[in-house]
Amino acid sequence: MKPFIEKFAEKGFLFSAILSASITISILSFMLFFSLPLFKGGEVAEFFTFGWNPYEGRFGILPMMAGTGIIAFLALFIATPFGIGCSALISVFPKQSFGIFLRKAVEFMTGIPTVIHGFVAIFLLVPFIREIFEKGTGICVLSASIMLAFLILPTIVLFLSDAFNAVPKSYLDAADSLGATPVQKLIYVIIPSTWKGIISGLVLAAGRAVGDTLISLMIAGNALQIPRGLDDAARTLTAHIALIIASDYESPEFKSIFICGLILFFFTTLIVLFLRLLGHFKILRDR
Amino acid sequence: MKKIKIRIEGLNFFYKKKPVLKGLKGEVEEKAITTIIGPSGVGKTTFLMVLNRLYESIPGCMVEGKVEIELNDRYIDVHRLPVTTLRKKVGMVFQVPNPLPMSIFKNVAFPMRLSGIKDKKSIKDKVKQSLKDAFLWDEVKDRLNDSALELSGGQQQRLCIARAMIMQPEVLLLDEPTSSLDMEAALKIAELLKSLRGKCTLIVVSHYTSLTRRISDSVLTLKDGCLEI
Repeated sequence: MKPFIEKFAEKGFLFSAILSASITISILSFMLFFSLPLFKGGEVAEFFTFGWNPYEGRFGILPMMAGTGIIAFLALFIATPFGIGCSALISVFPKQSFGIFLRKAVEFMTGIPTVIHGFVAIFLLVPFIREIFEKGTGICVLSASIMLAFLILPTIVLFLSDAFNAVPKSYLDAADSLGATPVQKLIYVIIPSTWKGIISGLVLAAGRAVGDTLISLMIAGNALQIPRGLDDAARTLTAHIALIIASDYESPEFKSIFICGLILFFFTTLIVLFLRLLGHFKILRDR
Repeated sequence: MKKIKIRIEGLNFFYKKKPVLKGLKGEVEEKAITTIIGPSGVGKTTFLMVLNRLYESIPGCMVEGKVEIELNDRYIDVHRLPVTTLRKKVGMVFQVPNPLPMSIFKNVAFPMRLSGIKDKKSIKDKVKQSLKDAFLWDEVKDRLNDSALELSGGQQQRLCIARAMIMQPEVLLLDEPTSSLDMEAALKIAELLKSLRGKCTLIVVSHYTSLTRRISDSVLTLKDGCLEI
């Protein structure tokens, strides 16, 4: 017979798993419930257009979808190599004291409120970007992507350095004894054997990049357009929700929030599926 | 006259300031099998790790004294060589086989990849030869693309020896290579080591004397942190 503590832990874990799964399903159901009338009434097609102007009765959210996709992708694109580099410095390269310091610094970064990131970006990053492009205000896709990359970097670094630390010592000994340099060890041994961990870290970071509101609200420009360059302003779905949430409950603007929420859900699912597929193909190729 | 491959003088090794090896002195003959025996915890593995500086990845280690290896008729202190160069000259096989999580072929070809060799034919030929030298070719020739982790313990250890030998190191260190294997696999490894004598200098650490004594050219005993010949 199992001791009480084991039984309690087993039930506790089961309860936690069911609870977290139920919350996710409930949120999805909630959004589906409120957006269902729009689907039924055929109004939903109106949202998948390019123009947003409530005064003219146009409620297209395609520019926000594009803004979300572009900013999140760019942030992930910028943060991933830095994340791998920092994690390698923490876990692979032999300067132990520096690795410990770097990890502490990254852990500290996770505690900085997003609004501070946005605030710092307005005073330091935005003028710099304005100088580079020599036009516009500097409040644009690139500024938002860089700051968002900075925001998701700790997630990637902490996940990856833990994954790198979990590589079996026998693999590292084998590589060391064959004369591998730390970089070769990272590329040929550590990254291939931590592929799943890397994917999980990127999935979390991508989720955070798609879901973040404040950075894009403060420094992406909130323009209702599809950005045609890095120096163009853009509005993300999350920023859009934040901006119009105060409107009348019965208005089509307000109803569009639920479609935005559903699309955010869909975006995150798509990213998770894509990264998981990537990992799956990599594992198959390595066999 | 027998040529000396490794000269050790006044070697002290400290782990977290505690002495492990004390004033070690000795010589290792070239292209012969030298066995180092001694009770558990006496520092046999540590001694091997000093020879190819693997201890450097463990925090809290400190080494004093001279460990010289003969390369192109010159004796060079191992600490003066770039560590990656040294490890390509002084290979190591561990007590527990440690194939990498990749195919059999990729495992054996791994050192060539590290050296930047890209010629596919040359890699293929060398992998085949190395596996033959390790008496493993016949057992794996039809499944070179299978994961090396699927091999038996004895096969994995021979694979590790093939991998260590592919770049023709001058010295091969073996840390109790048969201790985690059954008798049949251990005998195969012993036969393999005998066949490698003459190709490179072998230093075998062993807890058990019977098997390795039979194949050794000389035996060094490590006792209380000191070497006895």
